[in-house]
Amino acid sequence: MNENQAKVQPNQEPERRPISPLNRQENEQSKRVVKKDKKKAFGSGIIWYIFLIPAFLGILLFMVYPIFESLRLSFYQSNGTMETFIGLDNFKTILTSGPFWNSVWNTFYIGIFQILITIPLGFIFASLINSTPRGQNFFKVIYFLPNVTSIVAAAMIFAFVLHPEMGIVNYILETIGLPTPGWLSNPSTSKWAVILLSVWHWIGFVIIICLANLQAISPEMYEAARIDGAGRVQQWLFITIPNMTATFAFLLITGWIGALQRFNEVYVLGGPSGSPARSIQTMGAFIYERGFTGFEFGMASAATYVMFIIILIFTFLNIKISNMKL
Amino acid sequence: MNSNFSENQIQRLTNILKFFVLLVCGVILMAPFIWMVSVGFDRTANITMPFPPRLIPEELSGFNYGIVVENGRLIQSYLNSGIVTISSVLIGVTSSLLAGYAFSKGKFKGKKLLFIIVLCTLMIPMEPRLIPLYTLFNSVNLLNSFWPLILPPIINGMLIFLCKQFFDQLPNTLREAAQIDGAGEFRIFFKVYLPLAGPIAATMVILAFIWSWNDFMWPLVVLNNQDLQTVPLYLASFSLENGTSLGGLTMALATVSILPIVILYLFLQRYIIQSIALSGVKGE
Repeated sequence: MNENQAKVQPNQEPERRPISPLNRQENEQSKRVVKKDKKKAFGSGIIWYIFLIPAFLGILLFMVYPIFESLRLSFYQSNGTMETFIGLDNFKTILTSGPFWNSVWNTFYIGIFQILITIPLGFIFASLINSTPRGQNFFKVIYFLPNVTSIVAAAMIFAFVLHPEMGIVNYILETIGLPTPGWLSNPSTSKWAVILLSVWHWIGFVIIICLANLQAISPEMYEAARIDGAGRVQQWLFITIPNMTATFAFLLITGWIGALQRFNEVYVLGGPSGSPARSIQTMGAFIYERGFTGFEFGMASAATYVMFIIILIFTFLNIKISNMKL
Repeated sequence: MNSNFSENQIQRLTNILKFFVLLVCGVILMAPFIWMVSVGFDRTANITMPFPPRLIPEELSGFNYGIVVENGRLIQSYLNSGIVTISSVLIGVTSSLLAGYAFSKGKFKGKKLLFIIVLCTLMIPMEPRLIPLYTLFNSVNLLNSFWPLILPPIINGMLIFLCKQFFDQLPNTLREAAQIDGAGEFRIFFKVYLPLAGPIAATMVILAFIWSWNDFMWPLVVLNNQDLQTVPLYLASFSLENGTSLGGLTMALATVSILPIVILYLFLQRYIIQSIALSGVKGE
């Protein structure tokens, strides 16, 4: 009985009781129980907030504060010590700045081709791995390996792999009689060097996600199709692919968000200015260059906000599509 | 009978073909690694790269690896990365376990709103927070220390989300039984639920480890001291300093920097792949 009451009205019931002295004297026996109930009812509300203290301290300090502070900064001219309010000037400068739009273009160009190549290719590999009777696990491990290595080390290796004179890629291209591009030494091909690197690095992730979802398709569907006389290719086209659309959407959007934030590999390959000739400077690199080599904090903050809004739109889509439950 | 037999044959043939396609593509994918290790072991590749590229080093020697290890900076950066990663994983996983449990089993005002706030943090990338966080840590004189790398991972929306989902699957009856025995909420968490959280804790540790170990932009901003560089920072500074001029050394350095992670991956591959897949199919 007492248990139930405490649960139904955790806030009022236990507080009212001890006020009456009659209650205390009369029910000597239930006193102990009531006391315990009070403690539990009081605790069950407050104690949960104690569980949340570390996480929400982090949210306040490292999420909420910086987000609003950088919005404020974007209206100021600032180098970290001196600040003057200049309204929307930073945004005007950014939105009319050639280098900024160049970095947006580079980011989009690399991202779009990375995604267009990696998702179909990764899906084909995942399908092959899924249907091969031997060595599934071996292939999984091999294909995922590039994704485990840090992109910084990978970029370091690719600087050599794609070296115009002594790299293996151009050596192979030359031996089979194809033209040998200058890759990172030439602004017109440097983006493709980054695309190759990012495809190589991301494909393992795409394969793992595709495999997990391929294995979740119920075998009965294939069974039914087989009874109806559908061949392997038909099954793949009419059962597998339609069942994978949610996965493709998820990969498309996570891949795109990652692509918008691309920084590490272009920094290693081209430095903060994305050389040669700013041809691989991404939005992240532009912000880093303005913020931490030029110390134009206000300007960089405005640029991060433009970028933030672009990312926000795509993250919002991500949550919509991957159907996160609250 | 006849057609059945040939169908079987076709099946076997396509299987062999699939296996070969996968094998060849796998080798192509591994080629940069294979080449990296080979060049690293080539004494003649110390400064100028061997051309045409060859698989077997002309003069096999551990010379390049010796220099990399003797130099000491790589080992120092390993220690730094180790300190940063272990501390930030401990902090992040602990706070996420507590929060995920509260969001799953707790009854308190504002639970839904607070959880939405946690999910919102998933939408906030690092870039817009970079400058304010930099000035924040600067104002308390903690730049060029490990604190800026260890403290912010205390909040990780993805880990809280995964953890909540895990606890959602555990029955409430466990709680009720412990409650009747008079156990407080913390006792129930530590004695009843935490011992059952092994699988999700392992996943969280793996994910947090990968994120922290590979983190680059934020450490680049806050660490200018050469002695405090993490592994990715050291690699990047070496690469930017030398470009492609020191082939053998760079490749040996890359190999040594990747090796421990690769070994760890080979031992834990099942769990790592599962964890990545779990964070990828988070909608279900």
